[in-house]
Amino acid sequence: MPQTSIALAGADAPAKGRRPATRSFWRNVLRRLLRDPVTMTCFTILLLIVLAAIFAPYVAPHDPYRTSMARRLIAPGDARYWLGTDELGRDLLSRLIYGGRLSLFMGFAPVLMATAIGGALGVIAGYVGGAMNMLIMRVIDVFYAFPSVLLAVAISGVLGAGIGNTIFSLTLVFIPPVARVAESVATQMRMQDFVEAARATGAANWRIVLAHVVPNVTGPILSYASSLISVSIVLAAGLSFLGLGITPPEPEWGLMLNTLRQSIYVAPLNAVLPGVMIFITSMCFNLMSDGLHSAMDVKQ
Amino acid sequence: MLVYILRRILYTVPIAMGVSLVCFALIHIAPGDPLSAIIPEGASPDTVAQIRVAYGFDRPLPVQYLKWLAHVAQGDFGLSIMTQRPVLAEVAPALVNTLTLAAAAVLFGFVLGCLLGVASGYLAGRPTDKVVTAASITGVSIPHYWLGMVLMVIFAVNLNLLPATGMGEGGSGTFGLGWDSLQYLVLPALTLSVIPAGIIARSVRGTIAEVRKQDFMQTLHAKGLPGRRIFVHVVKNALPSVLAVMGLQLAQLLGGSILVETVFSWPGTGFLLNNAIFTRDLPVLQGTILVLAMFFVLINLAVDVLQTVVDPRIKRA
Amino acid sequence: MNRRSFMQLLSGVSLTAVSLTAGELGLGLGSAQAQAKPGVLRVAMTAADIPLTTGQPSQGAEGIRFMGITLYDGLTRWDLSKADQAAQVIPDLAESWTVDPKDQKVWTFKLRQGVTFHDGSEFNADAVIWNFDKLMKTDAPQFDQAQANQAASYDANIGSWRKIDDYTVEIATKRVDAVLPYNLAGLFMSSPKRWEEVGKDWGKFAEKPSGTGPWILESFKPRERAELIRNPNHWNKARIPKSDRLVLLPMPDANTRVAALLSGQVDWIEAPPPDAVPRLKQQKMQIVTNLYPHVWPFQLSFLEDSPFKDVRVRKAANLAIDREGLVKLLGGLAAPAKGMVDEKHPWFGKPTFDIKYDPEGAKKLLKEAGYGPDKPVKAKFIISPSGSGQMLPLPMNEFIKENFKDVGIDLEFEVLDWEALRARRRLGAWAPENKGRHGINNSWAYWDPDIGLIGTAASFAKVPGGFNWGDFKDAKVDELSTKAKAAFEPAEQNKILADLHSHIVDEAMWIWVVHDLNPRAMRPNVKGFVQAQSWFQDLTPVTVS
Repeated sequence: MPQTSIALAGADAPAKGRRPATRSFWRNVLRRLLRDPVTMTCFTILLLIVLAAIFAPYVAPHDPYRTSMARRLIAPGDARYWLGTDELGRDLLSRLIYGGRLSLFMGFAPVLMATAIGGALGVIAGYVGGAMNMLIMRVIDVFYAFPSVLLAVAISGVLGAGIGNTIFSLTLVFIPPVARVAESVATQMRMQDFVEAARATGAANWRIVLAHVVPNVTGPILSYASSLISVSIVLAAGLSFLGLGITPPEPEWGLMLNTLRQSIYVAPLNAVLPGVMIFITSMCFNLMSDGLHSAMDVKQ
Repeated sequence: MLVYILRRILYTVPIAMGVSLVCFALIHIAPGDPLSAIIPEGASPDTVAQIRVAYGFDRPLPVQYLKWLAHVAQGDFGLSIMTQRPVLAEVAPALVNTLTLAAAAVLFGFVLGCLLGVASGYLAGRPTDKVVTAASITGVSIPHYWLGMVLMVIFAVNLNLLPATGMGEGGSGTFGLGWDSLQYLVLPALTLSVIPAGIIARSVRGTIAEVRKQDFMQTLHAKGLPGRRIFVHVVKNALPSVLAVMGLQLAQLLGGSILVETVFSWPGTGFLLNNAIFTRDLPVLQGTILVLAMFFVLINLAVDVLQTVVDPRIKRA
Repeated sequence: MNRRSFMQLLSGVSLTAVSLTAGELGLGLGSAQAQAKPGVLRVAMTAADIPLTTGQPSQGAEGIRFMGITLYDGLTRWDLSKADQAAQVIPDLAESWTVDPKDQKVWTFKLRQGVTFHDGSEFNADAVIWNFDKLMKTDAPQFDQAQANQAASYDANIGSWRKIDDYTVEIATKRVDAVLPYNLAGLFMSSPKRWEEVGKDWGKFAEKPSGTGPWILESFKPRERAELIRNPNHWNKARIPKSDRLVLLPMPDANTRVAALLSGQVDWIEAPPPDAVPRLKQQKMQIVTNLYPHVWPFQLSFLEDSPFKDVRVRKAANLAIDREGLVKLLGGLAAPAKGMVDEKHPWFGKPTFDIKYDPEGAKKLLKEAGYGPDKPVKAKFIISPSGSGQMLPLPMNEFIKENFKDVGIDLEFEVLDWEALRARRRLGAWAPENKGRHGINNSWAYWDPDIGLIGTAASFAKVPGGFNWGDFKDAKVDELSTKAKAAFEPAEQNKILADLHSHIVDEAMWIWVVHDLNPRAMRPNVKGFVQAQSWFQDLTPVTVS
């Protein structure tokens, strides 16, 4: 889960063999992705979940907030409530569909923010180098020196529950590894002949960064960030599970898992369903991220 | 190499300082007054003021930090607000318990991960590889607190094969190597091991695939070495990085075990931390995070240094 | 294969099927656990840590239940031997007391003779003075801030104390206060001799505490367990424990407690989650419940911006809640509330406002107050996801939010963790942090007249000195409260308190929802337990066969 990819995707390992980031490269990547059945299956599943979440009011068969003590904890397989009901008699399918909104949002938002902030910091540190690099990277190193789950739990625990606090703590956890990936690529770019040449001709720094550094940094960062989405989903759900994440009555998979947990002895299937959703979603993101990795890895 | 190791060790010092500053700052970004946790229902304003002075909450922040750092340097992490016991005395035994759990999880994960990884590394590209890859990704994707809950209901309650919670009849004090104790470790460690298992499997698979592609392997093949010998070569080459991954995983699990410890009432640092968060016992919160982060820094350092010693070919900046 | 069994296969946790198969295969018969040993009672607490062992326990009522009245005695104690009436305060280390008729602030207590601490030293007036100094005399060598913090709500009104002779002490309260005997049941007597022996160090005393109580602490390990053994020399022969040993295990997670009970790791669990009850019963576990002075309310704000300034809105909110539905959600482990105290309680009185589920009545009241379908009442309450006595706060609040919506009250929540919520409660509704919050969902104990009625309602009892969070002001309440404080005859005091309670119910001072039934679950071989109507319970008659 969480920490995994962070340690794995190896922010430490400097990206090897820079390829020029050309349009044809991305076309090739796309073609390979389209040909990969696993990636496409995952993509389809995720697309369904995302669409269902976006169009929840039209897709959900029932009101996700409507409670009824008379029909609480109906087992999955019911003719009217296909996936059963929760501890307050609310339709589980509808809640899972609505829950996708927040859970997916918690997967994307921190990763997007961390990618933007961490990427920018890394590019600046790598391209400017020297004292600036020292300053930025040493601060990044300090945050990188915490186990990721610990940092997320500590910050959320201190700030208290809530969407904003959860996004903040997860963003803070993801910035250091993203920044390190960006920094190592940007540093390599700075040493490249064509960058030196561009500098010699007196091109403005921001032009060089935009023209040469950013396009090359994009690939590795995207590939890395894609692996963080599932981490973010599982971690955010974990925080909700601890009571440190999303606050009720919002449907969110981690929170649903938390409140339904009490019912595991009378309605085991209902209680595990939100976990299954978290699992499927995070697995799909992981497999897609894997697919992206290998699609970008093939030597041209 | 020696220079690198020395530099690496020196470099750890400012990081450690930074970590301590973050730990300190952490609790002061907290909303609300840390005092609120220690004042019982209906205490008079006099009592409140008195407690404020007694715990040093009336001093300015930088002074509090320096005071705190000076004490920390001497191993004095302050007193727990809730229990009045020294924080270090709370954290140290908990850390041992968490290390026990994390080590067992990494060991389980190693065996499981290697099996999966070797199988898939050798079968790269074939359907079996896909299955194995999927299985290892399962490990990375599963919310393990949820898995723990399900395992507990099945194995402890329904099958009554394994104990549900705690560290044994005598608690952590009598924890030993016999089955009496170890049976308490099985469920939490198994739950936690799905994380390193997935990662180790991926890492083993990757390393094996890479080693097999290298030139000297082709040569060995050409020389007509038997498969077994080639396997030994593969393992020899793959081992350093797998060990490194294990070390890093052990370090990550120190922080990652909080959810599993909460589910299984395992008296480790995660349980301690969760408790400290919900009772707003700030000295304990601070101390636990600091100790864990320092340990994390040290393990990372050790892994790095060992890797350099074992495999000097790895070039480092 | 029908869809349901297919789903079960898919999810892979067909629990019943798995256990049935295991039973057939003969698995699980040789349990992994060391099974119950006769004479040893193993209890899973909801606290995450062992309460303080030095005298005044931490962890609130649960701390007193397991680490206060077990190791220690007070001058008075709660009579926990009866299940059919609200627990009363009776003499304990003090045999009797009198109030000076000329100065009603001065009390004289006659102490019990022949009582010894666990270390063999004698309990006498010096010990009482020493213990009061321990809590309230900041310059005394034995003063202990940690214990003083825990005792503050019990000793706040004690002004001075002195020894008259070896077995007589005099206590003077700051204001006339007939509630003193209740408060003394929460002040425990530690051994001065043991404290001297361990080098005048409360930290060391905690490892080897000594009181006069029916149990002796043998050992404890923070956050893991405490082992208590029988005190064969306890002065009250009737309360010498029937069990040899009491093991206390902190288990904050409710599901973990259930798993521990079902797998035989413990004999007794506190507060099983309602949905686990059918399963527990199916495995022949005993479920013990009883009323006790607990209510799950919303304390309301009476500030200018609060819709609850209007009594009609308060009444409407009280009528909007489907309490039977909530009881169902709580697996029957709760009783609908008709006021602060339960109907059988001597303080219930005869309120004219009948709190029940009446959505039509609620809508009518709201209409009178100027609200309607196009102009709903807007309110924001502070709630917590967990906490002592909070029951199942999240689902309960979500349920009530729906109830409110039906009558035209739009409820919003601010979710804070338990300690943060308590902090906000101590600040009062007028604090800047609480701006725009019209209620706070803090479960309440009404075990004595102060915390239950006077402190919550009187205008002179605003937080933090009292418990009046929302600045409720009512002349009749103040008059009755002052009278109750000076009523030294219990029957007379109860009558005044009943009038007081009737009045605050008629004023719909809070939104009262349900009373918890204080559930515990035990293995079938646990015998002899009588569940008193109290936050505290006596473990001395309990045996494990």
